[in-house]
Amino acid sequence: VSAAASSGTALHWRPLAFLLFATGVLLLAAAVAERSPIPLFLALPLLLASPAAALSGPRGPPELLLERHAEGSGMEVRIVGSLASTDRVDARDLEVSFVRPPGLFESSPPRLEWAAKEVHFDFHWEAREPTIVVVPPPAAVWRDAAGLVERAAAFAAPPLVVERYPPELIRVGAVRLRRTMVQPGETPSRRIGAAGEFYGIREAAPTDPPRRINWRASARAGRWLTNEYQVDRTGDVLLLIDARRSSLGASVDERLLSISRAAAAGIAASFLHEKARVGVGVFGEFLDIVPLSTGRAQGIRVRSLLLSARLGPSNIPSERGAVSVSRYFPPGVTTILFSSLADESAVELVPHLRRRGYPVVVLSPSPLPITSEHPSLSEEEEALVVRIGRLARREQVAHVWRDAPTVDWEDYWSLGRFVEYLRRPGTRRVG
Amino acid sequence: MIPFVVAPSVRARPIVPSVLLVVAGGFLGYLTVQLWPLVFLVVWAGTALGVGLRLVPEPRAQEVAAVPVLVALATGAVASPLGIVPELVAGGAALAFLLWLADDPARPAGGSVRGRVTVLIPAFALGIAWASALLLPSSSASLGVAAGLLVFVIAALAYLVGRPGLFDREPAATS
Repeated sequence: VSAAASSGTALHWRPLAFLLFATGVLLLAAAVAERSPIPLFLALPLLLASPAAALSGPRGPPELLLERHAEGSGMEVRIVGSLASTDRVDARDLEVSFVRPPGLFESSPPRLEWAAKEVHFDFHWEAREPTIVVVPPPAAVWRDAAGLVERAAAFAAPPLVVERYPPELIRVGAVRLRRTMVQPGETPSRRIGAAGEFYGIREAAPTDPPRRINWRASARAGRWLTNEYQVDRTGDVLLLIDARRSSLGASVDERLLSISRAAAAGIAASFLHEKARVGVGVFGEFLDIVPLSTGRAQGIRVRSLLLSARLGPSNIPSERGAVSVSRYFPPGVTTILFSSLADESAVELVPHLRRRGYPVVVLSPSPLPITSEHPSLSEEEEALVVRIGRLARREQVAHVWRDAPTVDWEDYWSLGRFVEYLRRPGTRRVG
Repeated sequence: MIPFVVAPSVRARPIVPSVLLVVAGGFLGYLTVQLWPLVFLVVWAGTALGVGLRLVPEPRAQEVAAVPVLVALATGAVASPLGIVPELVAGGAALAFLLWLADDPARPAGGSVRGRVTVLIPAFALGIAWASALLLPSSSASLGVAAGLLVFVIAALAYLVGRPGLFDREPAATS
């Protein structure tokens, strides 16, 4: 046990204990000065109450067991769990304080139920935008019933991550990627089945349908042979987040980054589920990356990087990002770039990536829904501002379209058009 | 990050400890009338104010509710005439105050039961002190001895208050 940890969980007198102690001392002084025992009789319980309260509690940090999980789908986030006392501490003497991460909003009042051994909690939150956040564990303090002494509890809790992204992303991993491999990563990815490209011939089984019988080969061999097909969905995909600050301001940038992180988490999970290799880069001041790989461990690495992604400075040249990408990722990897395209430097990143051989698809979360959240003008003026903003945005997107297909992502809970584009890359304009 | 503490659901107000405190404070105030005709108003008002603040559903009001009660009880104890009954009433008022503290309406119900150690140990000490006062002959010399002992007790308590780690369990040598 470290010194810091032990001092954090040591017994603390609360202000009320000091108040009782001071009152007791004053009463004792008054008793002696007045030569009267009556203040002394009042002082005695007040002086003894705090040590008695300390003796009634645990002699060390209370041992607690935290169990919790996240439920719900879409915008709904429900955190359910319990904090159980494993020693003689009464759970009703625990004061538990929780933390609601940014990006999640209370949809109904929190519910806590105290029992002798457990505190049950049930929170209903709402993710108004796609998000990926860690819900920190609660802080618990044992406090005696009279509120004189307290002692913080120390317990280990695994991180609870809440991910909410548009539902269309669940099937985005099924698209065909440009750069494919036979057996990427640790897991053989080739899938032999009833659909896809021709793979080989094998002995027919009674369950094989007639349309899969290879009639010519069967006639030559004199026995029933059937075709096998290879479903080759594996490939490489790079998710690149432009995390440089823009002229939109810190709060808007922060929210757009949060939305991008959530979308990247959803896309990564979907492709990893299809056994594709996924790499992630976050371009802030420098390029933080997770190299291309597949498997469950890669999912954890990607999530960790996305959770730790922060905004970088604004004056970082775009070319630096493209050069850094080329150091870590081979050319030809399908690259999904998350960028607000708010500034010229953000727009410039696309051609730099193209020149280095990365086929880029830009998924651009639009700042318009965020900037028009708190209208300060009249209704008509606000409508005009939104219209002008939309026109400017359309021009920006059209400008980027010269270098790469761009999806203008305005409805944050829908990415159907993006998924549709990845499935049918021939579509000219999306967004 | 938005930290928040969830208060327990609304429960029955702690009537019994409040009534006990009001009765004890009221009696103590009544006793002061013999020496100080108007002090009883301070005692009653302070006690009523504290009890009222505790029942207001406002956390800040509940936090400071103990202050007027303490002031009222201390005033009553100082202004009371000498006698066995005032001694008993002062001690009882202190115990009623502790019981009232333990049944905090902002916390889960059953506080007075869970806080019984905090009330019973002082009650035991008070019982011994009152029995001694009742049975032993008092004189100026014994008051001086008592004062000396009290100074020692204050010093011991100050030492305890300054070192809350003394209440910690010793860590195991093998941990």
